Amino acid sequence: MDYFLQQVINSLGWGSLNAVMAAGYTMTFGIIGLVNFAHGEVMMVGAMAAFWLMVVLKLPFWMGCLGAMAGSIAVGLLIERLAFKPLRGAGMITLFITSLAASFGIRTLLIMLVTDKLKPFPIPDYLRGAILLGDIIIFKKTILILVLTFLAGAALIYFVKNTKTGTAMRAMSYDPEIAGTMGVNTERVIIVTFAVASFLAGMAAIFWGIKFGSVRCSMGVIIVVNAFIASVLGGIGNVLGAIVAGFIIGVGETLFVAYLPDQLVGLRPLFVWIVFFVLLIFKPSGLFRPNIK
Amino acid sequence: MQKLKNIILLAAAVGLLYFLDRCLPGFWLTLLLLFGINSILAVALNITNGWANLFSLGHGGIMLVGGYTAAFMTLPVAFKRDLLDLALPGFLLNIQVPFLPALIVGGLVGAVFGSVLALPALRLKGLYFLLATLGFNFITITIAENIPDITNGPMGLRQFPAHTNIWWVWGIAIFLIYLSVRLRRSTIGRALIVMGQDEELASHLGVNLLRYRLYAFGLSAFFTAIGGILWVHLILNLYPRVFGLHLVFNVVTMIVIGGLGSISGAVIGAAIITGFVEILAPLEEGFGFFGLFAVPRLLGLTTLILAAVLIVILVVRPEGIMGNREISWSWIKSQWQRFRRPQ
Repeated sequence: MDYFLQQVINSLGWGSLNAVMAAGYTMTFGIIGLVNFAHGEVMMVGAMAAFWLMVVLKLPFWMGCLGAMAGSIAVGLLIERLAFKPLRGAGMITLFITSLAASFGIRTLLIMLVTDKLKPFPIPDYLRGAILLGDIIIFKKTILILVLTFLAGAALIYFVKNTKTGTAMRAMSYDPEIAGTMGVNTERVIIVTFAVASFLAGMAAIFWGIKFGSVRCSMGVIIVVNAFIASVLGGIGNVLGAIVAGFIIGVGETLFVAYLPDQLVGLRPLFVWIVFFVLLIFKPSGLFRPNIK
Repeated sequence: MQKLKNIILLAAAVGLLYFLDRCLPGFWLTLLLLFGINSILAVALNITNGWANLFSLGHGGIMLVGGYTAAFMTLPVAFKRDLLDLALPGFLLNIQVPFLPALIVGGLVGAVFGSVLALPALRLKGLYFLLATLGFNFITITIAENIPDITNGPMGLRQFPAHTNIWWVWGIAIFLIYLSVRLRRSTIGRALIVMGQDEELASHLGVNLLRYRLYAFGLSAFFTAIGGILWVHLILNLYPRVFGLHLVFNVVTMIVIGGLGSISGAVIGAAIITGFVEILAPLEEGFGFFGLFAVPRLLGLTTLILAAVLIVILVVRPEGIMGNREISWSWIKSQWQRFRRPQ
């Protein structure tokens, strides 16, 4: 029982990462029907920006965090402008192939520039250490990540439900054309959506650095698949659903590995795909209601 | 008359291949073989992705299954039994099979495996089909890496006999292209193309959707597996990772550049991408230019340029080079006349 609880607690950090990524993912998915495989690379660029600021320029931690957000938002908007905007109205498959190409391109470019070695991600001392609860160890950084995830999730849900821009987003996810004729500035809403999604990816980059203590250029490969499957599991376009589903996937994956025999630990990537296929067969619309509501 | 023309063309092709086989130096011959294999992969992928509108990214997994099946048959006994002691059934472990049966069995296993695993995926539409096949790709690679008793894990297999030569590659490639051209005019091909454009219309016209999807996927998977087997016996090295998303991405780029749905477009795309990747490959390693300046190692340059080219093509000319037209005698004649007498 202790082992189980300890595994669940350990997995909460990974679950938060998945949740934050999935929330950003589901927004672009819901609004312009884009399965954005470059989202992982948006996160990676943020992490690299933070690494550059903190390790190469030796700036303090908070500057690195700001840099990660700024880097992610910049690259997210750049991809939107260069790759997705000229393809407005094209089919979902064309958009997906474009995002795949963008993902490959950015990742390869960064690997060429700074190689794919593990890069240190220094964290301040107040995030080190752990709290003991009986036999269970809780790391301070996990608590911080969890709290920040909840805050971001609450803010995002408030933004989508209660603000004018959020309402416009929901209108667009129903029907972009009608939203346009009702006076929604669709291009502006798309840019805001990408900015918010990229901001969340920047947050995920910081979480990644805090959780693992290092970042690398190929870090976006696995998590983008997890985030995508979480966004399908949570109902496409449903922010709350995506966050819950992100936690389900993160915790589930950790438990899956924890209870596998040692020589089969390499099967870890299978978990999300099993979830995906089971989901497609039994409940293709996801666990929660689709569309941003 | 038509028959005579075909025979003359075939004889000319055989003569040309014989000439090329004799005269080309090693690097260019390998390039020609890779071009042939890529043509096979692209034309086969075009059947599902171009005609039937079943956009698949799972063909890497099919190549993996076909490639390993053939590998178990053609590997020397000394390697697979004595050195690695793979956990294979005895009849596979103790014999070494010639290339043709290995090709056919590998192709069939790839086709069956692809179709069976695609069955749940075939019920899906559009994007979900694509993502399910992507999952298929990930799953086969992960499993192949984690059963080292059978596949030797990420270390992979070596010591293949170098079976692939110009006759196998281009024989199969020409046969597949001919088959595709005939298929396009046949009932099955037309049904596939209608299905790709409008499923409801196709089912109203009496096309059994599930059956034709299986036809498309099975045929495509068969030749994809054969392409994988030829590739393995050319490179002489096999490990699961090579069949990952990178490879699929390259083949998809070929058919998108050439024009989705066009057979000649697929071949043109294969020619462009093969030449491009192989000619840029030395550049990736870095070189010095007569001592004047040194170009540093640029690993990944081809991927970067390929990604940029793909995005530009999708934005500027989404129908590709050929659209869905084909190169034929009448097409060449009309182009020539337009060239002679511009309006």
